[in-house]
Amino acid sequence: MHDDRPLILLVEDEPQIRRFVCAALEDEGRVIEAASAAAALEAFSGPGPALAIIDLGLPDRDGVDLIRELRSWTQLPLLVLSARAAEAEKVAALDAGADDYLTKPFGVQELRARVRALLRRQKVGAGETVIEFGRIRVDRVHRVVTRDGAAIHLTPIEYRLLGVLLANAGRVLTHRQLLQDVWGPGHVERGHYLRIYIGHLRQKLEVEPARPCHLLTETGVGYRFQLQDCAP
Amino acid sequence: MTPSTQAPGVGAYLQAALACVATTLLTLPLLGMVDAANIVMLFLLVVALVAVWLGSGPAILAAFGCVALFDYFFVPPRFSMAVADMQYLITFAVMLVVALVIGQLAARLRDKARLATAREHEMRSLYGMAKDLSGAIAADQVADILQRFLKQRLEVEAVLYLPDAHDELRAIPVRAPGDGRQPHVRAVYEQGQPMHLAAEESRCAPALALPLVSPLRTRGVLLVYSDHAERFCDPERRPLLDAVASLTAIAVERLHYGEVLQQVTLDMESERLRSALLSAVSHDLRTPLTVLVGLADALTVSRPELPPSVVESAAAIRDQALRLSGMVHKLLDMARLQTGKVVLNREWQPLEEVVGSSLQVLAQLLAGREIRLELASDLPVLEFDAVLLERVLCNLLENAAKYAPQGDIVIAAATAGDLVEVSVADSGPGFPPDGETRIFELFERGRQVGGTTGVGLGLAICRAIVEAHGGRIWAEQRAAGGTRMVFSLPRGTPPVLEEEAGA
Repeated sequence: MHDDRPLILLVEDEPQIRRFVCAALEDEGRVIEAASAAAALEAFSGPGPALAIIDLGLPDRDGVDLIRELRSWTQLPLLVLSARAAEAEKVAALDAGADDYLTKPFGVQELRARVRALLRRQKVGAGETVIEFGRIRVDRVHRVVTRDGAAIHLTPIEYRLLGVLLANAGRVLTHRQLLQDVWGPGHVERGHYLRIYIGHLRQKLEVEPARPCHLLTETGVGYRFQLQDCAP
Repeated sequence: MTPSTQAPGVGAYLQAALACVATTLLTLPLLGMVDAANIVMLFLLVVALVAVWLGSGPAILAAFGCVALFDYFFVPPRFSMAVADMQYLITFAVMLVVALVIGQLAARLRDKARLATAREHEMRSLYGMAKDLSGAIAADQVADILQRFLKQRLEVEAVLYLPDAHDELRAIPVRAPGDGRQPHVRAVYEQGQPMHLAAEESRCAPALALPLVSPLRTRGVLLVYSDHAERFCDPERRPLLDAVASLTAIAVERLHYGEVLQQVTLDMESERLRSALLSAVSHDLRTPLTVLVGLADALTVSRPELPPSVVESAAAIRDQALRLSGMVHKLLDMARLQTGKVVLNREWQPLEEVVGSSLQVLAQLLAGREIRLELASDLPVLEFDAVLLERVLCNLLENAAKYAPQGDIVIAAATAGDLVEVSVADSGPGFPPDGETRIFELFERGRQVGGTTGVGLGLAICRAIVEAHGGRIWAEQRAAGGTRMVFSLPRGTPPVLEEEAGA
């Protein structure tokens, strides 16, 4: 029987973690296991995987280094497994090109949700001209943002920031990436600008700015834009 | 014991006189064969030799003696002090003056040579002491070397006073408790000026206290004492004492930096060990916990569905493993914070953001609870470490949820002067009456609630983080019942944002 489930490459040196990740992702795809960075690169000789899950603590190589190498020739979504209290490690992995991360320990639902989101992103792409989330509608051709049909005024920087977030919906963007994309390469040290403008955007777009549904904070790492409404 | 001060004894004068007589006896047979002018030369030579060997006094005696003997034995009429040829008067005058001048010069040369030898000796002994001091690795050794040197060279006793960690002066060797000199020594230490202590002032032998001045600060005091005050009061001995004091200052300073270096090395080593241990422990605990949570969770959603009781058990295993993981994280957080060297990653940001992210982190725990936000609309941006402050808010919210299982939770924030006060209030039973400060101690729990788990780390972590930010954390009883945990953060001076064109 032909198996048309997408291939998911799992790079993790701990066999028990591989075991439950395989079990958890049975519905999402077919998991190829690799216990080391070398084995991971080996896996690309066959049919290419649609997604890679990479543990940052690999025995033979720095995980961030592996991500950088993969990113140099493939756009496949990369999900990182990392420890709590290792924000710097996560930021390094994301800056190197990872799309998202999961903090250990994590549950099955969480893992599945992330994997699904990344695979879907791969399918849909970001070419839509009109994007809707919550009560907000963003018309990217006419550069108009409305809430329930009423126009919302955004400053040029706010609009640019929203644009970058929307184009990367579902992904975690680090402070550095956002500063670079919105303000330019010379401004990566001005973290407070970013935080304050995110605050402005939340005031204008979120129903309850202190409890955002779409413009989510990944503390110590960056921001994630979520198109789906949050659970009631 | 400088030799220049030593006066020549009677013996020296006797020797000088004998030398003159001997010269006369030896030169008498030459009379008639040698011209009188050459005999004068021989006498001058003797005066010079006397000056070199015996000093200036005997040289003067020899000068006069030689002139008299020359007159008596060699100048006609011989064997009489009378002079036939008046020209000889000029000979006598010149001979006397030349003898006196040569004698004085030679004697001075001799004294200088002796002084130089003595100085060299002194330098040699100082050098020897400096060498000994440079090998000393403890204050006791320094004091010992000093004592030996001063005893040997100046016959005085010495005590070294060095400050301890609290800047109290400690005597080496240890003095009896009622050391009457201590206050004076303290004054010398503080003012950095030497001081003479008379016997009656300190009820002990007269003493001289010299500060040990190094380029940066006074490192201690050297006290020399003796029943014979002249042994250290003599101005000629002061340079030596000052030199000893500065050599000691250098030695003490070297010891001090040696200790500092050792402490730093030790700190670095223990810090390295601690962080290596922490990361090893956190890795070794994390992996099995990740597996446990993951496998148990996988069971709860496995297909075909497992019997409900099994699913329930699997969920319980997962929840307990998560709780254990939370506790491990708290322990590791505390261990990191307790090193006292947490590097705050401070950034200017709205407080609102970290409130939102904390609620997001605890979404599952707080599901079904009503959370009211009362954040003042005019809150300024604050400078804080978002990761750590999120931990504070999460710990406070967790506590509120744990100790007040019902009722709403209120998160409030408002400015209060130079501070911003943030509070998390619940409507639970509150904390014990005397517990306001105790609950922030390590491993202290507010109230033993049946079935409520925890190790009392949360609030200790909160306090460490808030204090690292220059703030304060405290607990209040709510009038309506319940606990209100408040922490303050300094407002500081927020950076000015460039206004955006078209804003």
